[in-house]
This record gives sequence, structure tokens and C-alpha cells, in this order.
Amino acid sequence: MTAPWYLNLPLWVTFVPLLGALALLLVPKEKRRVFELGALAIAIIDFAISVPLWFQYDRGSAAVQWAFSTDWIPSLGVKFAIGMDGISLVLFLLTTFIGFIAVWCSFSAIEERHKEYYIWLLVMQTSMLGVFICQDVFLFYLFWELMLVPMYFLIAIWGGPQKLYAAIKLFLYTLTGSVLMLVGILAIYFLQKKVGMTPSFSIESFQAMAPVILQQTKTFQYLLALAFFIGFAIKVPMFPFHTWLPDAHVQAPTAGSVILAGILLKMGTYGFVRFLLPILPSATKALMPYFLTLTIIGIIYGALVAMIQKDMKKLVAYSSVSHLALCMLGLFAMNPNGIMGGMFQMINHGISTSALFLIVGIVYERRHTRQIADFGGLSKTMPIYATIFMIMTMSSIGLPGLNGFIGEAAILMGAFQAHPWWAVAATTGIILGAAYMLWLYQRVMFGPISETNAKMADLNAREIAYFTPLIVAAFWIGLWPTPLMKVLKAPIDKLVVQIDPTYFKAQALESRQKAAAQEGMAGMAAPEAHAAEGHAPAAEAHGGH
Amino acid sequence: MLMEHAASAALSTPVHASVLWLIPFLPLFGALLNGAYGLFCKASGRKAPSTQLVDLLALGSVGVAFLLAVGYFVTLMGQAPINRSITQSLWTWVDLGGAQVMDGVARNTVAWAYKFDPLSGAMALLVTGVGFLIHLFSTGYMSEERQDGRYYRFMAYLNLFVFSMLNLVLGANILMMFLGWEGVGLCSYLLIGFYFDKEFAAAAGKKAFVTNRIGDFGFMLGFFLLFQIFGSVDFDTLMGMTRSIMARPELTIFGLTHSPTWWFNLAGILLFVGACGKSAQIPLYVWLPDAMAGPTPVSALIHAATMVTSGLYMICRMNFIYTNAPMALSVVLFVGALTALVAASMGLAQYDIKKVLAYSTVSQLGFMFMGMGAGAYTAGMFHVFTHAFFKAALFLGSGSVIMACHHEQDMRNMGGLKSKMPWTYASMLIATIAIAGIFPFSGFFSKDEILWKVFEGWYKEGHTLNLIAWLMGMAGAFMTAFYMVRLMVMTFAGEYRGAGHDPYGHTVKAEGHHDAHHDDHGHAPSHSGHDHGPKEVVWNMWVPVFILALLALVGGFLNIPHSLHWLGGAHFSEWLGPLLYQKEAVHASHEAAPAIEYGLMAWATLVWAPGAMLLAWWIYKMDPTWAKAKGFVAKFPGVFRWVHNKYFVDEFYEWAIIGPCKQLGAQLWAFDTWVVDGMVNGAARFTLIWANISFWFDAKIVDGLVNFVAWLLQRFSGGFGKLQSGRVQNYAFVMFLGFLVFAFWKFLA
Repeated sequence: MTAPWYLNLPLWVTFVPLLGALALLLVPKEKRRVFELGALAIAIIDFAISVPLWFQYDRGSAAVQWAFSTDWIPSLGVKFAIGMDGISLVLFLLTTFIGFIAVWCSFSAIEERHKEYYIWLLVMQTSMLGVFICQDVFLFYLFWELMLVPMYFLIAIWGGPQKLYAAIKLFLYTLTGSVLMLVGILAIYFLQKKVGMTPSFSIESFQAMAPVILQQTKTFQYLLALAFFIGFAIKVPMFPFHTWLPDAHVQAPTAGSVILAGILLKMGTYGFVRFLLPILPSATKALMPYFLTLTIIGIIYGALVAMIQKDMKKLVAYSSVSHLALCMLGLFAMNPNGIMGGMFQMINHGISTSALFLIVGIVYERRHTRQIADFGGLSKTMPIYATIFMIMTMSSIGLPGLNGFIGEAAILMGAFQAHPWWAVAATTGIILGAAYMLWLYQRVMFGPISETNAKMADLNAREIAYFTPLIVAAFWIGLWPTPLMKVLKAPIDKLVVQIDPTYFKAQALESRQKAAAQEGMAGMAAPEAHAAEGHAPAAEAHGGH
Repeated sequence: MLMEHAASAALSTPVHASVLWLIPFLPLFGALLNGAYGLFCKASGRKAPSTQLVDLLALGSVGVAFLLAVGYFVTLMGQAPINRSITQSLWTWVDLGGAQVMDGVARNTVAWAYKFDPLSGAMALLVTGVGFLIHLFSTGYMSEERQDGRYYRFMAYLNLFVFSMLNLVLGANILMMFLGWEGVGLCSYLLIGFYFDKEFAAAAGKKAFVTNRIGDFGFMLGFFLLFQIFGSVDFDTLMGMTRSIMARPELTIFGLTHSPTWWFNLAGILLFVGACGKSAQIPLYVWLPDAMAGPTPVSALIHAATMVTSGLYMICRMNFIYTNAPMALSVVLFVGALTALVAASMGLAQYDIKKVLAYSTVSQLGFMFMGMGAGAYTAGMFHVFTHAFFKAALFLGSGSVIMACHHEQDMRNMGGLKSKMPWTYASMLIATIAIAGIFPFSGFFSKDEILWKVFEGWYKEGHTLNLIAWLMGMAGAFMTAFYMVRLMVMTFAGEYRGAGHDPYGHTVKAEGHHDAHHDDHGHAPSHSGHDHGPKEVVWNMWVPVFILALLALVGGFLNIPHSLHWLGGAHFSEWLGPLLYQKEAVHASHEAAPAIEYGLMAWATLVWAPGAMLLAWWIYKMDPTWAKAKGFVAKFPGVFRWVHNKYFVDEFYEWAIIGPCKQLGAQLWAFDTWVVDGMVNGAARFTLIWANISFWFDAKIVDGLVNFVAWLLQRFSGGFGKLQSGRVQNYAFVMFLGFLVFAFWKFLA
């Protein structure tokens, strides 16, 4: 039925970094170059072998593909089950994509304990990829927790002055979330037993529990939804669970920030898409006013706090809070446009914010300061840096033609369809987003340049090389996002039907619109008495099929 | 069915559509090639690309795009009015899946498509045509940048702007329009901040972008609402569906039931907020005067001729919404009239030649919106065109003047340039007469048509608002004629004051005038020590200006109002006619124009505007000491200061919006640090304290008990301790004793 494990490509992609890490263990720790190039080679190979997945994926089907399953702990119903649908696939590919850039940007940033650093980076990669391929909740939880360990060390060993505080904060915060999530998982697991089903940890059977959960008491449903909500909200992070993020970002090394922003935060939003929305749609809807309030606060609050930051990295970190709150707004719209926008925002945030952290990292490596006030006028001596920074600033504030816009517009459109007033409030965040990013750019790149700053070198070949894929991706998504939309469409439609089975039952307007488009300009001229009356019902009649 | 197929076939393979995409994309290629090559040269330390090559790519791409646009325009002219639309869909831009809208589920799909029809075609001609002339002017104006290697960047931005502007006008749906809308905003930002090492230029660029974003807020909401009503953002679909939607008694969206007019009003007002940002209307006009920090060709191209007219284009494009939204139109009318008046008054008290023109632009845009608001879309659009000619001529002319005067922008330090720069003088004079609205210059045909249409709304339909707007417009027109003559006299009349010859003490030193260091060329006017006076600029600067002035002279004859039909036809109105939504069928009426129309026309062109011009002439020319003006300023210093500083609106915004925003940010950050994070850290501290208490409990109580037991044992084990003497004999004795006891017990048993 399914291919044996050794023919399962996602499995290989997931574990290649771990195998590579094991191989690097054998190398003596003085050989810095071997670790750098070796880790880079492993990460690039990993990305390269993940690319065929894009082409293998059957876009017409919402089913889990590359499925592979084998018993693991039969007595508990735990299986080693993997496989991906479109939603997992794009995040999986984003991980391998950001993965090699994170390795590449570390060459000059990391000055000590290279062996451990690159090994942890690769272990991190495997654990993150693991989260996205799991089809078993137990396995999911395992990878989810595993992820924390490498991140903890990356921050605690190679971080800034307050690294321990930040690392422990990150660890405790996310652990709290995980425990709540575990409670939720176990509650559903035991509910299966209670209603006489064979208990299983498979995600599919968890999602199939939705109607059963609906029959439980309201309190049970709300508590369950809250357990998942807080568990994922901490990871996203949503207001008011976000304060671990600025600390973790500011203290983490550049690659740590890139991974954190690029992928780790997506775990939370992915959790919402995988668990909360399909398993507890009605409880989520009932609690929606509270969720939306936190979301809108996050958008505006994050942007306002970002505006007055004096540290570049902290500014970008708070902008993440704002951007991810926007992503949540899209998901909470619970309609195809909003969820599509939310998915795009995950990818776009992974591209733009990672790039912005890299951009901050570049000046930090040259000047060993991230204070905005220490810079100014860099455009004069760093033209390539200025260009890339400008592109990514525009991408971050959602300029049409670049990636950010696609996500933002889709989210706001979806939100407007579902909750118009909330969308109006969220749209103000767009204004603030432009304000803080352009102000940052103005203070760092424009104005007169100081003597110290004039000595800063423009980007070298390696730096240009790792920015290039990000820029290409930003333009690709901005100009021609349809291929990604095709991958995401079937799973998102499935999710929407899980939330609201009647969503697509309404009358389809496509043919009616086609007829209107054909009339076009001719519709401007006022008809001579009868013509318009005759036309409209005819168009109406076409709409039925 | 068959007909449908034929129709869709005709739609998908229109005439010569295959290279339509080149019109916008050619300038993009120019921008990319120039930008990439220049950046490569700069980053790798090579010599900057040859300026001839940059010129060739930049001018060539815009020039060919213009020729292509002309070709398509001619093609359109050859077709029946109802078929004048060429569409090219390049690719599916976004496909967001199903969306529940008013009537059902629509597929939210938007194509990257261009649509060349009478309106967008005319705009494309304007953008590429005027754009080309301004590119040509820049080759002369940016002569210093040609030397220092920044030239490629300027030209690349300028080309990128043309690309974005063409996307805005040629886009076949609202999303494409928004792409251009934001794209021109970006280019404007980049070009205003071209001299980015100057703080004020960088700040002005940011201000323009952020202010426009506030407008975009409204634009986006308006476009979401339209999508909610129509289920599509495609202009063709929107146009085709409007009538059937208007035929319904009510629409229900988000559970709210209102009449279609109510919803269209809402959408129209929201979209107009966007137009206010881009087209610098009250209250979002504040960015445009600051935008003068950009090089003068930029002011001419972006901040006068094309970008700022986007809002007008949008309203004309969406006329099917506005025609059905009377309330939104009233808002447009009132805001336009207010802007026309207020901005014109600000123009009266400026000394910076570019600032005068900037306020003039804001004011003229107000006139255009008045036209739209009166429902006279063609009149408003026609003013877009004539204004593009005369205002571009004025801006470019002012650029020539500034350059000739060694980067001096203060008109008090100019004067007497008439004989020194004859071509520039002639061109600017024509443009001045045109903007003042003197027959038969183009401004007469466009502006007076607008004012007449506004007046007609009161005269024929009795809308009081129209009368108020008309009065405001007339006052604005008076001021326009006044400040333009003031500008011309101060700049060209009398004798040149820049070289130290200044009998009446008009000149000001740079430090005395707060705007003087805001010279648009990125450096302080340090050349004033040059001994050679101003002279006419090179041909590639004055020729484009002169061409624009000629267009300003004759352009008006393209759209002659019905009342003057013996002069010619209203070609422009007829051209746009098929795109305008008609509420009911109109039959061409040949009723005679009312006498009052002729009366107002004569009044405006013979008395009102010339009166204002003569007044300015009398104040500034007849009396070279400017004693009357100076006396006025001395008498009412408050009024002058108030007007000169744009009624302190900037300061008000700073105080009322920007400051509080930053303060709120700071407060929220404090909240974040002390409350949100404080709770987290508090929890951590609490845990630590608890741990310490536990540790103390552990150490003192739990362990204390253990130790107490140990202590007790120790205490009572003293006796036993003595047994352990360590002497083998003792042990042997005890062992023997034990053996005896054991044996005795065994024996007894």
C-alpha cells in the first residue's frame, strides 16, 4: 500500500540533518572549516532533496501524501505515522529553505565551540522538520518538545549578555504551553476511550473526534479549546504571552533569530491550523471575540511598541509580534481567503523577518552594536546592503509586488468577510507597520554618515549569496503566488469544510460574473427601457451551474 | 451558448493585444537594467555606467512605450465606441479560493491583466508622453549627478515610476490598480529622498509614504467592500454588474440591509480617503509641500502631472460607483472645494518658488475633485490633462530658473530673468496664463468648465452645497491668478537681485529663511559667489518646457464646451463617454446654452482672473519696492505667519497624532516591560522565593528532624562507643563471653 520507509522522501529529508550531525560528531573539534562547510553541505543537500516533494505533490487531493505508518507503542495506540498535506508541505519546504540560510549566515558570527554549534543547528533542523511530517499526535508532541533543547543551547551558549535569562525564559514559557497542550491531547485521547472507541493518537482520528467533542459539556469544550489555545498562543506568540520573544531574539545569535522567526514561531500557527480549528471549531467560534481581541491588540500593540525601540533587533522582534497576530487574524477568519492569507503570512514572515534579522546581523558583526542611534547614512557606503534592506523593508510593510502584500491583502480580505469591524481595526496596523519600518530605515540608512560607519564594508559574496534566495522568494511570491496557492487550496478547502460544512454550498457566482465581464463597458450606457430588465435574469440563470 | 463562445473568444484575443504588456514593462526593463548595472558598478568599485547608456535605456524605454501607446490609441480610434477596449491577461496573479460574498460564493481570482480603453489609453499617453519630456529635461537638470555617479539611480527610479504609474492606469482590476498605487508611492518615496544624506529629504520621503498609507487604509477597505458586493474586483465585471445591483431594492451585507445607494456611498467615501492621500487633499495633503525636497523633475512628473492625479483617475474609473453614490460625490465636491481654496491661500504667502507651485498643485487638484464631485467626470479628467501640461511646464521652468540661479529657490533672490532666459520665460508665461484660465488657453476650457458644472448643480438642481463650492472655487481661482503673477513678477521682472544688486532690500540670506537650506539639489546655495549671472539653460531643458507650454496653449481645443460648439467639438468628453455610467438613457439635447453660462464665462475670463492678475501686477510690478505687500505683512504679522506656515497643520498633526502615537508606544513598552513581563518575572521571582522557603524548610525542618534524630542517636550512643576500644583482647573477651552464653542456652535447651 504505502512505500517502505527507505523510499519515503520526507522521512529522509527529516533525518538527513540528524545523520549529518552524527557524522560531524566524529570530526575533531579544532577543524572549524569542516563544520562550517560540512553543515552547509548537509543543509543544502537536505534542501535539494526536499525540492522534488514540491513536484511530486498531488495538488488535486487534500489527503495526506507520502503516508507511512508503523506500530510503535501498540498498547497505547501510538504509531510512528508520517505524511504531509499541502499545509505541512509548504512549511516543511520553508524549513529546509531557511535551514541552509541559517547555517550559511553563521560562518562569521560564531567564534567559539563550532562543533557543538553546527551539530545543534542540524539537530534543530531535524526536530523542526519532524513536527511537520507527523501524523501522530504523540510523535508530534515528541518532536515539539525535542525542538526546545537545541534552541535552548543555541541561545544559552552562543547568545548575548543576558543569554541565560532569555534561554530559560524561552524554555519555561514554551514548556508551560506544551504541558497545557499535553493536557488537551490526553483529554481527547481519554475521551476516545470513554465513548468506546479504540484509542489512537493519529491526527486523523483526533480530527474525527470533532462531532463527539461537540456532544460534551460546554465547559469541557471551552477548557479544551483554551488548553490548545494557550499552548499554541505561547509559541506564536500572541499577546500577552509574547514577552519571551523579544528577549530570545535579542539574545540569540543571528542564526538563532532566523530559525526562531523563520520557523519556530510557525509551530504555533501550524498548531492552530492542525488542531484547534478542525477539532474544536464550535468552541473556537464561541470564544472568538476573546481570541480576536487578543489578536487585534497584538497587531496594534506590537507595532506601537516596535515604533519606539532603540535596538534594531528588538524592533524586528516586536514587528514579529504584530505580523504573527495578523497571521492569526487570517486563521481566525476561518474562511478560505483568511486561512490562505494566514498560510502566506507564515511563509512571508519566514522570508522577510528572517531577512531582516540577517540584515541586523550584518551591521552587528561589523560594529558590534545594534543601537539605531549608532547608525545613519549607511546607504552611502553600502549600496547593495541598502538595496536589500529596502526590498525587505517593503516586503515587510506589504508593498504589492512583493510577498508581504499577498498575505496581508488575503488576510484582511478574509477577515473583512468574516468580521468587518475587526478587519478595520487590523488595517490600522498596516499604517503603523509602514511608519516603524520606514523610520528605522531612515535612521539607519539615510542622513549624514559618521566616520566609523563610513568604514563599514558592503556585503561580501557569501552574504549576497545567502540573501539572494530570500529575495528571489520574495519576488516570486509577490508576483506569481499561484503555484503555492494551488498546493494550499485543497487542504484549506477541506479545513474550511471541517469548520463549516455549508461554506461552499452557497450559490456559485462564477458564470454570472463571466457574463457581466463580457458585458463590461456596454453596461455603462443606459438601456432603452427593456434591455436591462431582460439581461439581468438571464445572467442570474447562468449562475446556477 | 454559441454567442457566448464567440464573445469570450473575442474577449480573449483582442486586436493586437499581444504587446500591450510592453507599454508598462519597457520602462521596468529600463529601470532594472540601469539599476542593476549601476549598482554592480558601484559595488564592485568600477566607474559609473556611461551616462549616454543610461540616457539611451531610460529615454528609449519610455519613448518606445509612448509610441506603442500611440499605436494602441490609434487602433482604438478606429473602432466603434462600444468596442474600444483591449485587454491582455498575462497570468493569474492570485487565486485565494472561494469567498462568501453578498450573493453566494465567488472565486477570489485576480489576473495580472492590462486594459487599454479610452480612459486608461489617454492616461497612458499622458504618462509616457509627459514622462518622456521630463526624462529629457532631467538629462540636463541632473548634470551634477551625471558627474558623481548617482545619475543611474535617478533614472532607474524615474523609469520605475513610469512602470508603476502605467500599472495604475492600465491595470484591469482594482488589485492591479493598487499595485501601481503603492508602486508610485514607493517611487515617490525613493525620489523625494533621492538626496538621502539630507535629513529633511529622507524625512519628507517617509512622511509622503506614511501619509499615503493612511489613505490606503480607506482605499483597501473600499475595495474589500466592493468585493463583498460584486464578488469580483475586475473592472469589466464591476461595470457589467452595476446596473443589475442598482436595480435591487436593497442589499444585505454582514447582516446589514441597506439600499444599494447606501452601500455605494460607503464604498465611494472609503475609496475617496485613498484618493485624498494620493492626490493630496485635505486633510492628507501635508506631504506634498514637503515632497518638494525631491529634484525638480520629480516634482514635475510625480507631484504635479501624474501620480497626484491617481485619485482623479480612480474616481473616473469607478464613476459607476460614484454616479450612484450622491453622498460620496458631495463629500468629494466639498473636500475638493475646500482644498482648492485653502491651498491657494497658502500659495499666496510662499517665497520658495517650488512651494508656490506645490500649493498651486494641491489647489488645482482640489478643482479637479470639484469637477468629479459635481458629476462632471470628463471636465475633471480634462483638467488633469491640461494641468499636467501647464503645471509640468511651470515646474520644469522653475527647475531651469533654480539651476540658472545656482540652486537658489527663494524668489526674493531672483528677478530680472526675463531677458536672460527668454525661452523659459515665454514658456512659463504661457503656462501662467493657462492656469489663470484666460481664453483661449487650455486652463480656460478645463477649469471654467468645472466651475460651470458646479454652478449648474445649484442653478438647475438647487443643491446649496454646489453654490458654496462654486463660491470657494471662484475665490480659489482668483488667488491662483494672483499668486502666479506674483511668482512671475518676482522671478522674471525687474533686475536680477542674486548678484548683489538689490536696491530695495528684497534678498534674504540663507540663514534668515528657514526654507533656504531645503534646496532641492542636495547642497546649500554656496555658488552665490559666482560672478557670471543666470543665463538660458541648455536645449534639452528648455525644449521640453516649451513643448509643454505649447500643449498648454492649444490643449484646450480638445474639449470645447457645448456652449462654444462653434469653436469645435467636445472630443475629449465624447471619447470618454462610453465609459461613463448613465443612470437613464439620455438623448443628445441641442437646447441652447443658458445665457448665464456665457455670462459666467465672460466674467471669469475677462474680469475675475485678469483682475487678480492686475492686482498682483499692481502690487509687485508697478511698485518694485513691494511696499504694499510688505506693509500688509507688517500690519497683519499674525495672518501672514499663519498662512505662510500652512496654518500650522503640520504642527497640529505632530501634536495631535504623531506625538501621542509615539507616547502611546512608549507607554505600551513600559507596560510590556513592567506589567506583562513584570508578571512573568514576578512569577519567576515568586517561584524563586518559594523555592528558597522550601529550601529553608528542607534544610531547617525536614533535614532538621533528620539531624535531630541523628543527634539523639549520637547522644545516646556514647555508652556504646566505649565498647569500641579497638583492643583485640577486649573483643576476644567479649566473643568468648558470648560463646559461653550461647553454649549455656543450648545446654539448657
